[in-house]
Amino acid sequence: MLRALLLLPLFGAGLLALVPARRVDLLRQLASLAAGATLVCSLLLLVAFDPDSGAIQFFETRPWNPRVGAHFALGLDGVSLPMVLLATLLCFLAIACSTGVRTGAKLYFSLLLVLESALLVVFSARDWSLFYVAWELTLIPLFFLIDRLGGAHRHRAALNFVLYTLGGSVFLLIALLLLYDVAPGHSFAMADMAAGGAQLPARTQVLVFLGLLVGFGVKMPIVPLHGWLPLAHVEAPSPVSILLSGVLLKMGAYGLIRAAWTLPAAALAMQDWLALLALASLIHGAVLAWRQTDLKAMIAYSSISHMGVVLLGIAALNHAGLSGAMTQMVAHGLVAGLLFLLVGLLYERTHSRELAAYRSLHASAPRFAALIAFALLAAVGLPGGAGFVAEVQVLIGAYGRWGGWLLFASLGMLISAAYALRAIRCVWSGPGRAVRTGISGGSSRIDDLKRSEYAAAGLLAVGIVGIGVCPSPLLALMTTSLSRLVSQLAV
Amino acid sequence: MNDWDAFSAALAAALRLVWLVPVLPLFAAVLIALLLLAARGCGDSGERLSAALASGTLLGALVVLAVVDLAALLGVAPGHLVAADWLRIGRVPVRVSFALDAYSLPAATLIALVAWITVRFSTRYLHREAGFSRFFLGLALFAGGMLLIALSGNAVMTFVGWELAGFSSWLLVGYAWERPAATASAQFVFVTNRVGDAGFLLGIGLAVWSAGTLEWAWLAGDGTMATVTARLLAAGFVLAALVKSAQLPFTPWITRALEGPTPSSAIFYGSLMVHAGVYLLCRMQDLLLMVPDLLLVIALIGLSTAFYAALCASVQSDVKSALIYPTLAQVGLMLVFCGLGLFWIAALHAGLHAAWRVVQFLLAPAWLNLARRPARPVPRWLAGRRWLYTAALQRLWIENLVYSLLIRPTLALGRDLQAFDAQFIDPLIGTPVDDSHPSRSVVAGGLPHRPGLAGWALTAVARRLEDVEGQLLMSGDGALERVLRRTAGYAGTVEALLEQPRYLMLMVMATFAVIL
Repeated sequence: MLRALLLLPLFGAGLLALVPARRVDLLRQLASLAAGATLVCSLLLLVAFDPDSGAIQFFETRPWNPRVGAHFALGLDGVSLPMVLLATLLCFLAIACSTGVRTGAKLYFSLLLVLESALLVVFSARDWSLFYVAWELTLIPLFFLIDRLGGAHRHRAALNFVLYTLGGSVFLLIALLLLYDVAPGHSFAMADMAAGGAQLPARTQVLVFLGLLVGFGVKMPIVPLHGWLPLAHVEAPSPVSILLSGVLLKMGAYGLIRAAWTLPAAALAMQDWLALLALASLIHGAVLAWRQTDLKAMIAYSSISHMGVVLLGIAALNHAGLSGAMTQMVAHGLVAGLLFLLVGLLYERTHSRELAAYRSLHASAPRFAALIAFALLAAVGLPGGAGFVAEVQVLIGAYGRWGGWLLFASLGMLISAAYALRAIRCVWSGPGRAVRTGISGGSSRIDDLKRSEYAAAGLLAVGIVGIGVCPSPLLALMTTSLSRLVSQLAV
Repeated sequence: MNDWDAFSAALAAALRLVWLVPVLPLFAAVLIALLLLAARGCGDSGERLSAALASGTLLGALVVLAVVDLAALLGVAPGHLVAADWLRIGRVPVRVSFALDAYSLPAATLIALVAWITVRFSTRYLHREAGFSRFFLGLALFAGGMLLIALSGNAVMTFVGWELAGFSSWLLVGYAWERPAATASAQFVFVTNRVGDAGFLLGIGLAVWSAGTLEWAWLAGDGTMATVTARLLAAGFVLAALVKSAQLPFTPWITRALEGPTPSSAIFYGSLMVHAGVYLLCRMQDLLLMVPDLLLVIALIGLSTAFYAALCASVQSDVKSALIYPTLAQVGLMLVFCGLGLFWIAALHAGLHAAWRVVQFLLAPAWLNLARRPARPVPRWLAGRRWLYTAALQRLWIENLVYSLLIRPTLALGRDLQAFDAQFIDPLIGTPVDDSHPSRSVVAGGLPHRPGLAGWALTAVARRLEDVEGQLLMSGDGALERVLRRTAGYAGTVEALLEQPRYLMLMVMATFAVIL
């Protein structure tokens, strides 16, 4: 079943190659079908998954390159399954909502499906070599997606994105090779690498962990390494932005959790520094988000801030913190997905991303305005949304370690309320459309959401509220696996 | 006798329905929101529907509350009722629990009653206003949130109500979306309230680690908690209470909040929300009694707010401001009672005061009709002292102080961080070629402009090597020169290839050298 999940998008991409390039709608429908089948497949996995067992489930392995000890090992546990679900859901929505793509549609949809496959392999790999290969594989479709179909500065954004990530992955590779060197039986399997890592002296462990941290921190992003993110998010076509912030950033955080799993002693030694970086990201992202006038850039910077919350939860290294970090990853995936979806649809209609262009949106497009307000408030972490459940857990988890230092995290919360409300205020008030038409000369009305777009946005909104009101199923899914991880850390 | 037993058993069974009290108004809010989204909430019929939804559910909540009150009076109600588990944080469960005691039940009944009356009043007051349904959405949300604050048995549930009240207050202050002043005020109010929320969240975090529970009833522990911990724990909640009750450093938000329609001002700031802080203090009185110094601080803040509000009240010229400052003064007095440890007097005062103020605020729009004589002039003792008069008129410049102490530094920080990004991080790591100026990429050395620290280092090394190379060529004969030139050609190709992933590869090699 897991293999079917990984192969379905690739199969879809192959199918797309047979369709003539001018039949754009057929291409989109086929791609949506493939992504939808993948989503169904992941839901079936969820049904078959046994949350009470902390072991790796659906495990399958076959030798890949026996001479270097690489295996094609796949498996899911309570940490990776939520990520797989999130990835399949967002990929499906991103593909289904790409109605604006008319030129180069064949390449676009094939690349998206290849990207989905690579993402799913990253989340289900049980072997570091496979993980690394899939990690690099995500870059190729993304580079072309941004470079071919992005905004005005797309070349720069794509190059910047790939260079940053490649630079980070080199450190990742070195760290992995160091671990491989000491792993018993020279194997890349995650369990073996962890066993090998435990034998290293503490200083080397910290060095290896630092390498992993740089690699994952670029993707996540952690503050001094975030340079690629604002540009890439702003320039990428909106469905790709959904995937970038919804799933790609989570890869970094997911990898970091795995890294803590592999090198618990080093993670414990680095704990305070991680928290410092987390607080820096949190405040840096929030403050810069406050300064943006471009709505997409604002959401991009707020992503940095939200991933700071995730890092803070991971840094706490206790059950509450990790569980909060995982919840925040899911919550942010849904919220950022919804926001980028809405902004993308708005951009299709207005050809402007400036906040000022959306003044009095509620007069002509009330559903847009209501959903944007909803998504921004959910991003702030109001109770009832998924972000609240996550933030409470992270704060409580981190409180156990750092106490009063969390005042800085509260500062970030305060600023996040300020920028979200400023955006809502812009959407809901101000001079009417007459002024805007004077600037852009566009049509005087923005069409409201179509039914299919409404359904897509509604699906995400229901997910956000569902997790916010009734979080226990999600928490139950991860709790056993996280308990195992925490028990390792306690040693 | 048998009848009596059956009756009390029925009452005890009805107690299980207490969760309906906050849920009913919230349900109405959700329904109204759905109606609005489906664009059915407009027009006279939509108006009637949303008003009926709000007032019907509130009446329902009131009836349920009456039954619970009766059960409590007859002694069948437990003081603390656990309805369900919500989620589990580490080993601490977060429950859906309700406190049914002498503080919560009267407060909840009063809240439901006042909210119901206000809804009935606003049905006429806002008839055929553009945002009629939106107003009732906010009102229903607010009623649900306040009922949750009053009834909830643990800190997280109270916080949910706390946020709902804050959010709906933001919704109603910004009721007139078109006016920039209203939306600016709404934002100011919400952000100020977030300060208190941050305190509340810190309190929750500390409660999990130091008290091991989130239920109000057991928060004080068994008296073994260290004073320092208790002080920290209480301080977070007290901060939240001070903000919600608009006590001294935080007073400006409440005057800005009067921007909303009159019925919402009545129910929010005149009567209910402003007392939420006092109620929270009463709820955690066991904990507060363990830290007398904090009680002293509360009393002092209450006293100074009372004086400050009394001073400002005497110079106000519009009816809503003239009502809000005496309200603040009374709330200040309640805090003084809390600070003296007389929590039951504070609660009693709050209840009576809430009932009285809601009448005053609802009558405020008709003040010109009702008043028989002109408003009193500024008292003579104040009019004579010009500096005091100015200070009162300017409300002691608190708002300006907040602006220059908090908002301006944050703006400046934002500017600095962006400059830091552009001036320091980008030059250090380098930025790739700008699409808009492709010609600038072919500057000397073939490196793109702004190549970053690593790029500059590479250029410098290349220049030095070139010098050495030049000297070698000068001294050598023709054959060597040819060979060298050919090698240089290869090296040039290799270098050109290397330049594609550029300095990052260089960093990689440097790292290889360091680690291996």
